[in-house]
Amino acid sequence: MATAVQTRAKRTFRIGRLIRPAIGVVVAVFVLWRLYTVLASQSFGPDTWVRFAISGLVLGSVYAVIALGYTLIYGILFMINFAHGDVMMLGAFAGYFTLEAFNGAGFLNKNLPSAIISVVVAFIVGMSVSLVISIALERIAYRPLRTAPRLVPLISAIGASLFLENVAQLTFGVARHTYTNPEVIKRNIGWTLMVGGKEVLVAYTGVLTFVLSLLLMIGLYILVQRTKMGKAMRAVAEDKDTAALMGIDVDGVIANTFAISGALAGAAGVMWGLHMGVIYHYVGFIPGIKAFTAAVLGGIGNVPGAMLGGLVLGIVEAVAPAALGMPFQLKDVLAFSILVLVLIFRPTGILGEVLSGKKA
Amino acid sequence: MNVRLASREGLLTGFINLCCILLGLTGLAGTMVGGWFHLSSRQPGAWLLLLGIAVWGGVRAVRRVPDPSRNKTLIAGLVAGVMHGLTLAVSLWLISTLLDAGAEVRKWLVQLTPEAIRLLTFGLSPVAAAALMFVVMTTAGLVGALWVRASERYPWQRTLSKGPTTVRTRFLALPAVQNFMQRKHSQQILWGGGLLILLFFPFVLGQYWNYTLGTVGIYVILGLGLNIVVGFAGLLDLGYVAFFAIGAYIVAILTAPAPHGIMMNFWLVVPIGIVLAALAGVLLGIPVLRMRGDYLAIVTLGFGEIIRILSKSDALTDFTGGPRGIRSVGGPGLFGFDVSSEFYFMYIIILGIVLAAYVTLHLQQSRVGRAWMAMREDEDVAQAVGIYTLQYKLLAFATGAALAGFSGVIFASRNKFTGPEDFTLLVSINVLCLVIIGGMGSIPGVVAGALVLKGLPEILRQLADYRMLAFGALLILMMIVRPEGLWPSTRRQMELHERAEQSGEPDAGSSPETGP
Repeated sequence: MATAVQTRAKRTFRIGRLIRPAIGVVVAVFVLWRLYTVLASQSFGPDTWVRFAISGLVLGSVYAVIALGYTLIYGILFMINFAHGDVMMLGAFAGYFTLEAFNGAGFLNKNLPSAIISVVVAFIVGMSVSLVISIALERIAYRPLRTAPRLVPLISAIGASLFLENVAQLTFGVARHTYTNPEVIKRNIGWTLMVGGKEVLVAYTGVLTFVLSLLLMIGLYILVQRTKMGKAMRAVAEDKDTAALMGIDVDGVIANTFAISGALAGAAGVMWGLHMGVIYHYVGFIPGIKAFTAAVLGGIGNVPGAMLGGLVLGIVEAVAPAALGMPFQLKDVLAFSILVLVLIFRPTGILGEVLSGKKA
Repeated sequence: MNVRLASREGLLTGFINLCCILLGLTGLAGTMVGGWFHLSSRQPGAWLLLLGIAVWGGVRAVRRVPDPSRNKTLIAGLVAGVMHGLTLAVSLWLISTLLDAGAEVRKWLVQLTPEAIRLLTFGLSPVAAAALMFVVMTTAGLVGALWVRASERYPWQRTLSKGPTTVRTRFLALPAVQNFMQRKHSQQILWGGGLLILLFFPFVLGQYWNYTLGTVGIYVILGLGLNIVVGFAGLLDLGYVAFFAIGAYIVAILTAPAPHGIMMNFWLVVPIGIVLAALAGVLLGIPVLRMRGDYLAIVTLGFGEIIRILSKSDALTDFTGGPRGIRSVGGPGLFGFDVSSEFYFMYIIILGIVLAAYVTLHLQQSRVGRAWMAMREDEDVAQAVGIYTLQYKLLAFATGAALAGFSGVIFASRNKFTGPEDFTLLVSINVLCLVIIGGMGSIPGVVAGALVLKGLPEILRQLADYRMLAFGALLILMMIVRPEGLWPSTRRQMELHERAEQSGEPDAGSSPETGP
């Protein structure tokens, strides 16, 4: 009996060792072959590649900001906040209404400072609305379930997501709303790069999104690593009971975490509106899932990891279909394939996760 | 301090009321109440809702007062009412002024029709309407305070949460039932009786109910499969729909005349579909089952989306029919008769459910089931006592996938159509919800969950557009009030109530378990 178990364990160990290299070789050969055919056929000029990369970078930075919120909440509560994308959607709507109000009052395009003030106020309003919704979400839907098994808060989050989507649909209608950007940052103006003798547009909104997302990430990193609140957050993430014994207000810290992640989602929503232009009640769903994917990709619980995961995912989505000579319909397939591959070869994500061993 | 807390409650409930107006819930309440009492006006219902929430705000504010003397409760209620009234009055004034100025508010907030506003303003001028609103809401806050003083707090929440379990345990504790359960062949008699009832079921139902309950039945099979994966083995699978899609597409490709013209017999396709779906489960499982918990969830979610997008994409249009799907999928025939109507499908579905339940039950009570349970509770310990976890995980995945493939075959064949939009993420989520609502790891729970989840939207039909809103809210409420599910397995119930009993909380509702 004992020997039978041993041999079986040994045999499976060998098979287990073979799976990963086999998958790796197959994928590498496939990618190199497709890449070679595409590059040899020269169907895309260098300007197209740069355009893809830029759009991927911007998309990725929006994903990254949403992913930061996911990663924070996951790091503390070990739950997938399924409604996070919808919090982002409501933030986008709040920013939209602010800009519409400024536009209706004739303030938006009066002069440069007024445009800047309008955009800043739109960001503040969007972030505050998302912040409040995020806190309310935690208070109503998640806090009573703190001690329940892990799947229970997930179902509650799914319920919250459905609820928020329908709230938006019923209040704002099913029509798609188009963001009113100030004239100075219209979506179709920006700097032009000359690549290979052709012009490539770098939209101001894209630059704004990218820079802002970097700033938010750095700010969050400092907040988590250097401030007293961040220290409390990390302590709660490590062990709630011990943190409570050390005099940390666990409920307060968790509420703070939700507030921060909500504010980030709101900022992402306004960025999405300013750069992509169109928002509707369902707009948060796909970015939400992508952002969670990005958070896992980078190593969940890890702040720089979420940022990196988001950027990688955005660029893969934008560049990979063309690079592998596939139709753009399949970009999501590629994005998820990257996730599966990364997790097969590095189960803790690119930068590794920051989780206490107990919960892992 | 009390004033601050009370005003916060007032603001909060005022905001909730404002949301109700923006969502159009006031109009809905008006229509429903008007319908019940055959009123010509929608105003009573709308105001009933608003006043109800305002009174609730007053009640909440009073609960915040630590030592309820007469004056303090009244002040708390008054403060809450004033804040509530201010919130609503200001917003109402703003909205009606904007409307009077000719702004197209409906472009942004679709529920704010002039008619909906008239429900609230009685056609008065903005200022007068706001003043009226303020006075009424302040009074409502006071009424709430008086209400608290008048009544003791009724523990409805406890009753609600213990209800279904109490009914079940009381029923099982009846002497007759107990006697019966201790008889030798009681199990077989129960199964036989249930089967007999099910056999006559489709005769009684009309075509519509056969179709609706057939859908419920398909979800029961799906739920039984996912129950193995999530409930028994503890693997969170968010891409379960992929196997469902594989089953559906296999039957479509092999029996439909359009893209390939293979047109095989339905009964031959059923085992092919089941085997191929199980194979897909194993193939997906080998690389991903080493991941744990939520990583597995997101990877399976990705897999589900990959299958859907691939079936939709241009690259595979020749094979899967692309976005248009595959039409005229073949139905089952029996000795030359065509038995593909909803009526006959009901029998096939019932047969499928019975088979699936039988397999699940036997797996659960076997060595395999115990291994799954050990794995779910603690993977490391399970491994340490000699359970080869990867193999059992693969088995769970394959069994779940096989059941999903089976229900996919039935689904596509019954609808005579399959297309990528049948297989969105929402299906996976629905199945997961029904497993958890029913009670994870419990077979009757899956049936209960499917009936509630697929039946509830039918019941909520009166709410029309507000159906999904109510559904989302009910999901949250359900998780808070009764996280163990409607019909939990005995083991899980014990686990969940262990903590409450340890902390010394009296567990009044449940008598000891007396079932077999």
